[in-house]
Amino acid sequence: MDKYDDQYIKELLLKAETQHKGFELLVRQYSEQLYWQVRRIVVTHEDANDVLQNAFLKAWNGLESFHGDAKIFTWISRIAINESIDFVRRQKNMAAISADDEDSHVANTLMADDYFDGNETEALLQEAIASLPEVQRTVFTLRYFDEMKYSEMSQRLNTSEGSLKASYHIAVKKISEFFKSHD
Amino acid sequence: MSMKEEKYLIEEVGRENPFRVPEGYFDTLTSQIMAKVEAEGVEARDLKPGKEKRAKVVWLRPVLYAAASVCALFISVVAYQNYSEQGVTAPAQNVVANNQMMVDDYFDEAADYVMLDNQDIYACLSSDY
Repeated sequence: MDKYDDQYIKELLLKAETQHKGFELLVRQYSEQLYWQVRRIVVTHEDANDVLQNAFLKAWNGLESFHGDAKIFTWISRIAINESIDFVRRQKNMAAISADDEDSHVANTLMADDYFDGNETEALLQEAIASLPEVQRTVFTLRYFDEMKYSEMSQRLNTSEGSLKASYHIAVKKISEFFKSHD
Repeated sequence: MSMKEEKYLIEEVGRENPFRVPEGYFDTLTSQIMAKVEAEGVEARDLKPGKEKRAKVVWLRPVLYAAASVCALFISVVAYQNYSEQGVTAPAQNVVANNQMMVDDYFDEAADYVMLDNQDIYACLSSDY
């Protein structure tokens, strides 16, 4: 599925004269996959686009944090996931300050969104996910939609597998309860 | 129990991706991102392949434990002295508040001393290695 060899991209990234080209290949290779990871966490297309671009900017500015022995996708995905979590946290803080309970009308907003093609039940699932604390929300989307292994998630979120399993189970329980209360 | 609830969710809602993107979005995404990177003005530079930063955290973990132990001992001594000097009339809340401030100050000093930033501390406290 990958268009370019990771080892080749890594070699390009290490040298100043080939770094720009290497980064461009990295963006070409992984931006779509990362976009969907981010989108499931932040929900709207506009926000996903902003968060993704910021994540790539951070990656470029912090190339020193990339270590040749790490997988490129693990590294860039960690940056994008952290950026998504920070975004959701800021959004929740702003909603708290303005006393606007944004989570409670996510489903209605989505049903009117041009870039949401789901039905009412899928919109409600997004509302339930948006009501979770940011880390639970991230763990849930990575596991439920991407079916990511806990071992892989542990590398991305720098958290133990045990904590991730616990977070996922709590999130599933809360979302099920949300649905049962809406039946 | 949670597997049963997960199954319920999959049956009730499914795992389909309900999101869409504007037409042609992914065709222009790379050039948009690269334009932003160039506008940022951070120059390309040679990188040295190195070890993961986590190695530093692993190495510093005993230092953190030692700092925490010294901190705990210090608090106990101060709390004991406060209690002895002020006797049973000292409001417990004040003692707790004072000690908390001392803990915070001491922890900040210890973190500065071993040159740990918040990210290192969070990584260290939340990791298994």
